[in-house]
Amino acid sequence: MAASGRLGRMADLRLRPLAAVLLVVLIGIPIARLLGVALGDGPTVVAATLTDSRVAGAIGNSLWTAALVALLATSGGTALALATERAGLPGTAWIRAGILLPLLCPPFVTAFGWTRAYGPRGLTDQALGIELPGLYGPLGIVLVLAVAAAPLAWLIVAGALASRLEPDLERAARAAGAGPGTTLRTVTLPLLRPAILSALVVTFVFAVNAFGVPAILGTPAGFATITTRMYQDLARSADPAAFVEAGILAATLVALALLVVGPADAWLTGRAAARTAETAGGRGARVPGGGRGARGSRARSIAAAGIGLGFVLLTLLPLCAVLLTALTRAVGLAPVPGNWTLANFGEALDARFGDALATSLLLAAAAATIVLPLGALLAVLAGRSRTRGGNVLRTAATLGFALPGSALAVAVLLAYGGWLRDTLAIILVAYLAKFWALGQRQVAGSLERLPADALRAARASGAGGWTAVRTIGAPLLRPSLLAGWIVVFLFALHELTMSSLLYGPRSATLSVVVLNAQQLGDPTVSAALAVLLVGLIAVIALPLAFMARART
Amino acid sequence: MDAADVDDRLLPAAELRGLAVGYGERLVIDGLDLTVARGEMVVLLGPSGSSKTTILAAVAGFVPVRGGEIRIAGRTVATPSRHDPPERRDVAVVFQGAALWPHLSAADTVAYPIRRRGTGPRDADREARRILGRLGIEDLAGRRPAELSGGEQQRVGLGRALARGAALHLLDEPTAHLDGPLRDRLLDEIAATRRESGAAGLYATHDTGEALAIADRVALVRAGRIVQAGSPTEVYEAPIDTWAARLTGPASEIEAVLVGFGSGSAGFGGELAELDVGGVRIRSRIDGAALGPGPARLLIRPDWAALGGSLPGRVGAVRFRGSHTDVDLDTPAGAVTIRRPGPPSVGVGDTPGWSLARGRILPT
Repeated sequence: MAASGRLGRMADLRLRPLAAVLLVVLIGIPIARLLGVALGDGPTVVAATLTDSRVAGAIGNSLWTAALVALLATSGGTALALATERAGLPGTAWIRAGILLPLLCPPFVTAFGWTRAYGPRGLTDQALGIELPGLYGPLGIVLVLAVAAAPLAWLIVAGALASRLEPDLERAARAAGAGPGTTLRTVTLPLLRPAILSALVVTFVFAVNAFGVPAILGTPAGFATITTRMYQDLARSADPAAFVEAGILAATLVALALLVVGPADAWLTGRAAARTAETAGGRGARVPGGGRGARGSRARSIAAAGIGLGFVLLTLLPLCAVLLTALTRAVGLAPVPGNWTLANFGEALDARFGDALATSLLLAAAAATIVLPLGALLAVLAGRSRTRGGNVLRTAATLGFALPGSALAVAVLLAYGGWLRDTLAIILVAYLAKFWALGQRQVAGSLERLPADALRAARASGAGGWTAVRTIGAPLLRPSLLAGWIVVFLFALHELTMSSLLYGPRSATLSVVVLNAQQLGDPTVSAALAVLLVGLIAVIALPLAFMARART
Repeated sequence: MDAADVDDRLLPAAELRGLAVGYGERLVIDGLDLTVARGEMVVLLGPSGSSKTTILAAVAGFVPVRGGEIRIAGRTVATPSRHDPPERRDVAVVFQGAALWPHLSAADTVAYPIRRRGTGPRDADREARRILGRLGIEDLAGRRPAELSGGEQQRVGLGRALARGAALHLLDEPTAHLDGPLRDRLLDEIAATRRESGAAGLYATHDTGEALAIADRVALVRAGRIVQAGSPTEVYEAPIDTWAARLTGPASEIEAVLVGFGSGSAGFGGELAELDVGGVRIRSRIDGAALGPGPARLLIRPDWAALGGSLPGRVGAVRFRGSHTDVDLDTPAGAVTIRRPGPPSVGVGDTPGWSLARGRILPT
């Protein structure tokens, strides 16, 4: 990145040791401690633990549900990406918003919503006497996780369609005599292969890492995954054997993440390097040519209606169910205005909400504020990609993001639990380790928006290094850096997996409080808490939507 | 189809009648008529933003039409209620940025349209290599776009269009990303292959030299309308207005008074006339729309005037261009650019005088 060249040179000299030390503290030491505990009792203990039928079962469950989720979410996300970026459906802007909406809702809230919409005594049960069989168990877990992960796949594939796949490439195929289906098969999908592969990897890691959804839908049905098993192990952490088992499971997760992410990342990086010669082109342009006549427009309307129906059933109804539950006096009563009350909100606010809200906001703000400079550090170091050290640092940070949250939480607990157990600080350390790579990506993304010669022009006009950054770089980067800050803030606010393993009596976050209320069998209050959490997230995310619109 | 009793080969390659195309609420083309005869190369010449690319896109089937009709080889392919997709139109497209598929080799790219006709992979590959051979790039058959230079990429794109075997080639500024000699070589290649294949061409460009060099007929496009159409010589020598004059080549405009016509004919569309230019009487070959005595605005191409003569002028700028030299003169009637062969013979500030061999009266 030309724009960061000068910064990079200064960073190389002074900042690289700092970055290295921080990486060792935040990621290196915890992982080393984790491996020490997991392997410390020798290979026989590891083998015995892993072959224990319940542990092996949990690992197997995690693997096959995550594989299914990855397949479902990626195919769904790809189909949606083709629909929004290429098909020219009516109401495409609304469809995009509908796809992104689930991202605002923490997956465990979605799972809770599904139980309130399609579970026993849920909306469809009360209204029609039908409920979704198998909601509690692997089917429900796979469905809800796939719905939660599909937007991630959509973001990746739609991004590739909009920026990498010049519409002329598909037009050329049509003009060469290929029909829409042949064009999709011979041009669009082959060129999307890298994006589809990274969508598969991201959704798989997302699903393996998921804790809230299997905790809500799997645990009551006796269906354990690696993460829920670890949670139970740590709940009995007084038992040293359980603690070791948690460590071994966490190490297994680390190994899994590395096995999946490593090769895919290497392959994709190679592809990216090979692709630099190619031209990027018209953004989001629709490729017309499909029957535009009356038949075509009817087909488009039907497709748009189908997507709308899916949105209502998969996303909107569960969210409404949570809202209705929060408004209804008791579970089992019909959610009609006669039974409405605000008492649940009163109880939620009264009981635990205030402290947890303060905790969550403080943690999220601290994480976002620290992660962004940390990310800038790496973005600037790694921007000078010729230096091998920069790449090593960036890979290490990416590792933190790829590591399942539960494994990272156990690792941080092992490394620093002695001093920091039950404090906000230990949760913050875990957040920083986890979100560092996210911050790096945000900063690197905004640096890419900086016109290549903007800083050089400032230098050539007589500005010194820092003056150029202050007068030209900072004003240009400010909006995207602010957006990056909000993104990290939202991720932290969402976070449940690590928080649920690390919180103490006085450091429960909002997500943890919602989950605990739900698990204590208090649906109305947990629904009220969930509504407040989602509302808070939505309010904070609102400026992002405006910024995104202003940018396009 | 709808003209089954007429021999298809006698029908125009393309007919656009009352074409209207729009994006959103806005019509960018409204009521455009254009016919491309069999084997004819029509160049759409216009500045960027004049919607010439949109005309090609409508003919190719990339955008729907809002009004009018498009026929290709006698077959109706687009009306407001009908939209044949590109693969069912008898067209081949050469794209501005080549639009090669990153995952296919040159041979596979050229074989692609052949395969879509149902030809087996082996035969298609043989045919593709034959086409690459004709373009002199058979040695690049195994390379992917990332391993090709800009000129090579565009040549592969041309091969892909040839392989389509279409009646009409649509070329959207195919030389835009090339420079200098590469550009000329590709132009020669396009002209030669089109002659061989007998296909008609519709070629969009903003480059005047390119348009005049390759066209059988040039259509000047302005804001989605065809302002003038004619042979390259016609549009160069007889532009209909100032805008058309400046689009089709270097042009100077001066104020003059047409005094009267002499006797005798004066070649191409012009007559020998007596002019008052800045107070000096001269005789010169004049043509134009409004040939009547009185004040007139006179268009002068750089090759229509010469240094030395009875008209006064002072050299404002001299640009040596290698094979010739352009001299800007400030004259009482307005600025005039004169082109003469060879290196500069005058310097800035000189007052060599000048003469006018011919001119064209522009409408006021």
